[in-house]
Amino acid sequence: MTTNVDSIDMELDARGLNCPLPILRAKKSMNELGSGQRIKITATDPGSIKDFEAFCKQTGNELQETTEVNGEFVFVIRKAGA
Amino acid sequence: MKAAERRASILAVAKILFADCGYHGVSVDEIAKRLGVSPAVLYQHFTSKEALYEAVLNEIACHRESYVEAALTGPDDFSSVLTRMTRVYVDSVVNDPDYLKMEMQALLEDARLARQFFDSRWKSFTDFIEVNMQELTASGKFSQVNPRIASLMFQGMVREALYAKCIYDAERYQDYSPQELAEQLIELFLHAIGYRP
Repeated sequence: MTTNVDSIDMELDARGLNCPLPILRAKKSMNELGSGQRIKITATDPGSIKDFEAFCKQTGNELQETTEVNGEFVFVIRKAGA
Repeated sequence: MKAAERRASILAVAKILFADCGYHGVSVDEIAKRLGVSPAVLYQHFTSKEALYEAVLNEIACHRESYVEAALTGPDDFSSVLTRMTRVYVDSVVNDPDYLKMEMQALLEDARLARQFFDSRWKSFTDFIEVNMQELTASGKFSQVNPRIASLMFQGMVREALYAKCIYDAERYQDYSPQELAEQLIELFLHAIGYRP
């Protein structure tokens, strides 16, 4: 995990959703972001850790943070440059 | 034998025994005997029979990455994503029908295990169908159909198709591959729920 003080440009609440819904929501949301902008995603599916790792691997976006607090998983993803 | 190889061999043997005899029908001692090792060796890798069972499930289950790839690669409308996810699932069962046998055993012997299968395998499909139907009904892309019952219909038809093709190799459907059967069923399903792309 890296500490990043940059701002969050968008937040996505994917709590209560199972794969592939958080991934699809993230993809849709990130279409509205510009290169370098960051999205914070909150999810509750424990499998979402692997899912967002795979998501970033496949899309080229950067998974900057993964944290777990009280059963909630928070991901910060930075959209890849053009 | 290296630890990783030993672990893999334990999982392979345990999978066959769980598929043939069910969770309660096989003991750690029997798995160890089949492997030609002492039970202590198994406990070095898995803390309990339950942990071993869970590991077998995770091992033979289709990798989550495949579902992520299926979700992301191609058009992202409801029917396209559902079709690609189903394709991944059908492939995983065709490649390893022991999983399906384990599920059948779980349904017969232990409701908790059966729910575990539902949560780890079918819930992705049922939730995907329900959430999409709820959201798209408002936009007129579905008829007024109960999303929960529709998702049960989907689960039932795909599972039955896999039983017919992968467990008892039904002569009745010999003209269809598992994938063809699943795709035709999805078409019928979309028609039944009144999906309008």
